[in-house]
Amino acid sequence: MDAGLLEQMLLGALLGLSVYLPLRCGQLSLATPGFFAIGGTVAALLSTRVPALAGSGSTYPITSVLLEMALAALLTGVLALGLGRVVLRLRGIYLAIATIALVEILRVVTLNLEFTGGALGIFGIPQPFDSAAGYAAFTLALLALICWLCDRLEKNRPGRAMAAIRDDELAAASQGINTADTKLLAFVLSALVAGITGVVAAHFLNSWNAKLGNFDASITTLAFVVFGGSRTWLGPVFGGLLLTALPELLRPVGDLRLIVFGAVILVGPLFFPKGVITPELFKSFKRRIRGTPTAAAQGVKP
Amino acid sequence: MNGPQAPLLELRNLVVRYGSITALHGINLTVQAGELVTLLGANGAGKSTTLRAISSLIHPASGEILWHGGLINRLRTERTVKLGISHCPEGRRVLSRQSVADNLALGAWLRRDKAAIATDLERCYALFPRLAERRSQLAGSLSGGEQQMLAISRSLMARPTLLMLDEPSLGLAPRLVAEVMAALSQLHRDGLTILLVEQNAQAALTIADRGLVLEAGSISAGGSAEQLLADDSLQASYLGAN
Repeated sequence: MDAGLLEQMLLGALLGLSVYLPLRCGQLSLATPGFFAIGGTVAALLSTRVPALAGSGSTYPITSVLLEMALAALLTGVLALGLGRVVLRLRGIYLAIATIALVEILRVVTLNLEFTGGALGIFGIPQPFDSAAGYAAFTLALLALICWLCDRLEKNRPGRAMAAIRDDELAAASQGINTADTKLLAFVLSALVAGITGVVAAHFLNSWNAKLGNFDASITTLAFVVFGGSRTWLGPVFGGLLLTALPELLRPVGDLRLIVFGAVILVGPLFFPKGVITPELFKSFKRRIRGTPTAAAQGVKP
Repeated sequence: MNGPQAPLLELRNLVVRYGSITALHGINLTVQAGELVTLLGANGAGKSTTLRAISSLIHPASGEILWHGGLINRLRTERTVKLGISHCPEGRRVLSRQSVADNLALGAWLRRDKAAIATDLERCYALFPRLAERRSQLAGSLSGGEQQMLAISRSLMARPTLLMLDEPSLGLAPRLVAEVMAALSQLHRDGLTILLVEQNAQAALTIADRGLVLEAGSISAGGSAEQLLADDSLQASYLGAN
């Protein structure tokens, strides 16, 4: 497979995880592309305007990329903390609409600011890797790290609080879970993931402009999670990988490819309403490997 | 703290509003330690609102909520849970996609004392043996009665001083209502203070020490359980008896 496509798929998986994090506590936030765009802009500005970061070698130093990621994470995290306090008072579709507005505001601001390059954007972002394969290896490591953190989050205390809020917010609140802070935590984590993904994407794409964080991206990244499933971190990773690759893999069918792509997004939820990857799938898989019935199977009512 | 004479819980002139709608028009209520008090009334009378205000899920517009004589009007919910007030909300609200054991673990959310949690878990299973049989089953696969038992047990897992229950009989068959009420009565005999909100006045008054009738956001009657059960006019107007 083409390493460039692989890199795009990995970035898709990361963005899927960013949408999945607020959904872990039942919050439908479409702000991911906004924070993605901020991360990308931070990387584009720093790497093209700050000579000190460029280093002396022929390629842009990875330490500088890591520094950009840290700054992007700081900026998106602080922004999400402030905005989250306000927008997370909204629920369901109203939160979704508010976050779409957020993405659009950021896009229009970026489009009209002089120092972000306006409509043209920023060009000639330096390359830390010689080839797409280098990017893919770097992004794979990043994805693995974030997947590991998400896996921890499904088992540790904040993660269990998130699951309780997703299943029943009032019940969670009445047992003493701080629902406001837990939802804010998920929102901030989502912003951090999107922000650092933006940094990698900016270098990979070589140029950055306002169009990269628009409403279309909100819907596409949401599709990753709807298709893959939002109950475990593997769902959005699978959705992000597959749905990013699909338009490319479908190139042979020519003009039909967007139709097939649309059909997959449509049919996926019809046949897999909880997404393709569910915790039940894991359980039955484990059971098949071990050949022993699980506790859940034993506990079924007669 | 107002000394040892202060009641466990006292509401003074409590007013709660939802936007422009006033749900509670200044109610007064006291619960002494060890009592089982039931709050009766029709739909929309403000029973649930009263419980929600006590557990800080909503904040009152005016009036006082006193716990051991200390003001607890504007706490966060986790603070009231820590104080020992456990609210079992209306409609059971178990986490249907999590196991019985996980639901019970959620009840002990703010506790760190692992040994005592394990003891309380066994106590819950002893109170409702059917939950013990189904501990690894998803809560959503339980029957309505079992879900109610789980909801009560989950609230008990917070090891409350005051257990507040919102319509535990809702949607249950009469035999199960009796079973749930018997369990509450058992908890009361073991020394737990209970504030029971009910529409099923007969069932609630059978196990309660005292009852209060809430009507359109105001307390309209009150007295011992025997008095209320014997009062024909009350029965006819508020309690929906034949």
